[in-house]
Amino acid sequence: MQRRPTLLWWVSSVAVLLAAACDQGSGAKSRALTSIKVVIADYSKDHTRPFWQSLSEAYTKQTGIKVDLQVVDWNSIDQQVTTMIQNNQPPDVLNLNAFSSYAKDGLLHSADEVLSPRTREDFLPAFVRGGEYQGKLYGFPILSSARAFFYNKDLLARAGVAAPPRTWDELVTAARRVRALGADTIGYALPLGPEEAQAEWAIWMWNNGGDWKSGDQWAINSDKNLQTLKFLADLANKHKVTQVNPGKTNRTDGAFQLFKDGKVGMVMGFSPLAKQLDADGKIRYAVAEMPTNIGTAVTLAVEDYLMAFKKPGNADAVKTFLDLYYQPETITRWIRAEGFLPVTRSGLEQMRADPGLTPYLDALPSAKLAPTTDPAWDKVKLDVQQTIGLAVQPGGNPKQVLDRLQQNAAAAGGR
Amino acid sequence: MLYPAAQLVRASVSQFSVTGLSEGFVGLRNYTRLFRQEPLAMVVANTVVWVAVVVAVTIFLSLALAQLLGARFPGRTLVRWALIVPWAASVIMTSKLFAWIYDYYFGVLNPALQALGILSYPVDWLGDDATVMGAMIAVGVFVSLPFTTYVLLAGLQGISPDVFEAARVDGASAWRTYRSVTLPLLRPALLVATVLNIIYVFNSFPIVWTLNDRNPGFGHDTMITYMYKIAFKSSLRDVGLAAALGVVNVLLILLAVVGYLKTVRWREEAA
Repeated sequence: MQRRPTLLWWVSSVAVLLAAACDQGSGAKSRALTSIKVVIADYSKDHTRPFWQSLSEAYTKQTGIKVDLQVVDWNSIDQQVTTMIQNNQPPDVLNLNAFSSYAKDGLLHSADEVLSPRTREDFLPAFVRGGEYQGKLYGFPILSSARAFFYNKDLLARAGVAAPPRTWDELVTAARRVRALGADTIGYALPLGPEEAQAEWAIWMWNNGGDWKSGDQWAINSDKNLQTLKFLADLANKHKVTQVNPGKTNRTDGAFQLFKDGKVGMVMGFSPLAKQLDADGKIRYAVAEMPTNIGTAVTLAVEDYLMAFKKPGNADAVKTFLDLYYQPETITRWIRAEGFLPVTRSGLEQMRADPGLTPYLDALPSAKLAPTTDPAWDKVKLDVQQTIGLAVQPGGNPKQVLDRLQQNAAAAGGR
Repeated sequence: MLYPAAQLVRASVSQFSVTGLSEGFVGLRNYTRLFRQEPLAMVVANTVVWVAVVVAVTIFLSLALAQLLGARFPGRTLVRWALIVPWAASVIMTSKLFAWIYDYYFGVLNPALQALGILSYPVDWLGDDATVMGAMIAVGVFVSLPFTTYVLLAGLQGISPDVFEAARVDGASAWRTYRSVTLPLLRPALLVATVLNIIYVFNSFPIVWTLNDRNPGFGHDTMITYMYKIAFKSSLRDVGLAAALGVVNVLLILLAVVGYLKTVRWREEAA
């Protein structure tokens, strides 16, 4: 007959498990490095995994070190990386759209330790600045993108709009005309849902002379920004030229989808959208500068990062891997395939030859980056994503939303 | 099962940086912070509505479906198989399918309802605050029906035909037979179906996450999606605080199930 487990048995098993949980991670000390973990965000099903797979194979061939490659969906990458760090199993190389919190926590190698000077000198200066934390480079640019103003040529022509709008007033006029074409036609598709609201908002904010910060201080609720948010609310509720519920529309499956379907006159897009539109061949579109309220058009550039985590004895192995990626032909081959923009001088030269990229490459020098170098941004960004859409809904309160964002941002910077 | 539970409890009493780096033991601070979160009351209310309505409607419809599938009619096998489909399909795919069906511009629901004259203008089912919860509940019921119906069907078929025969001989009406004979004998199956559904629906993530992903804020979140947002998608970005909510969730679901079983037993004794 089997004895039932006693209370003592239960208590001791729980104790053992807890001890195991606490002890985890401290076991893996300096053994000879046989493999590195590389975590890459999935930019596209067609190109991301094949590229990094073949790069990993080349690396293993050269060094004998295996690569544990993980290509992770954007939707779950924050969660997976957090869990890795929580369990004390960080990757050796990570690709993400943020880096400064990791640098702040002292988890990263700086460029001095893992980049050869030749690689580093090839980076475009703006992207070096975008990857620095306290004067040192921790976020190595992996690729970039820039937003541009997309318009549907047929819809604008039918609405009698001769040229794409250059100012906010012209935008309102053009959008109203397009909207008047039919019940289902949308003048301007405004995605302020949680997916990427901070990007859409930033472009409008900058084109009215506002900014995230003034000097070192957050300035989210400045008068300029309040004026901007009220303007966006007016687009939705007064002029009624946007899609239904713009505060609750995401970018990829919302605004872009509507534009691809020919329902939208104007939208802010980026080069991967152009690639998809060209592949579909359904919409006649063109790309222009952002309409501005201050005379000079400003656009948003996005820099994504590679970073190297400090793990005992991994610096050389990581350095070899990064050098392999940053070989001019290699990095450019991948950025081209994914439809993004270069982050290196050599890449910029090579990609100049592509006429389709001219509008983005021209916009790149005057483009602004999000304040990713401030660790507080990682929280501010999420706060903007979860709240700014509420301000443009009927009955929304732009001032209250901005004041709240400002208050939270100031508090996030304090810690 | 013990190991993840221990990990969860341990995380709930630790402080974490945004990156997930542990910054040490903080006692019950995450719990006190959790109860000060402004959206919590609304999220709890959403969860109660979500679980209660989905489970109640599911049980009600499943009783009818089980009765139907227990009866002999041509094509019964086909209908039985058809009912398995929403169960076999992944909940994420089902949720995405419904997100498309509900869509204001591309969906098929609005044109269908307008054609039938039920609606005179299209509704943004997933964007309008008044309709989001209802839209999610409908999907919740849809994916819960197969399992529940089969549990109840098994219960129905476990009832001896003699009992119905006896009721017929006594001259009981169909409704009377159902209420006084079928339902009491179905009690064990109903109990199992309800308890499992409460747990399953409470813990359901994909439906609420997928159908509500376009809405900013926490106005339509349940405690499960709120937990995820606390950890990764809100300015809190705090896995310790999320773990505290995880512990509260487990305790709450235990409490709900025990409470339900107690009520049911009490009624049984009173009867």
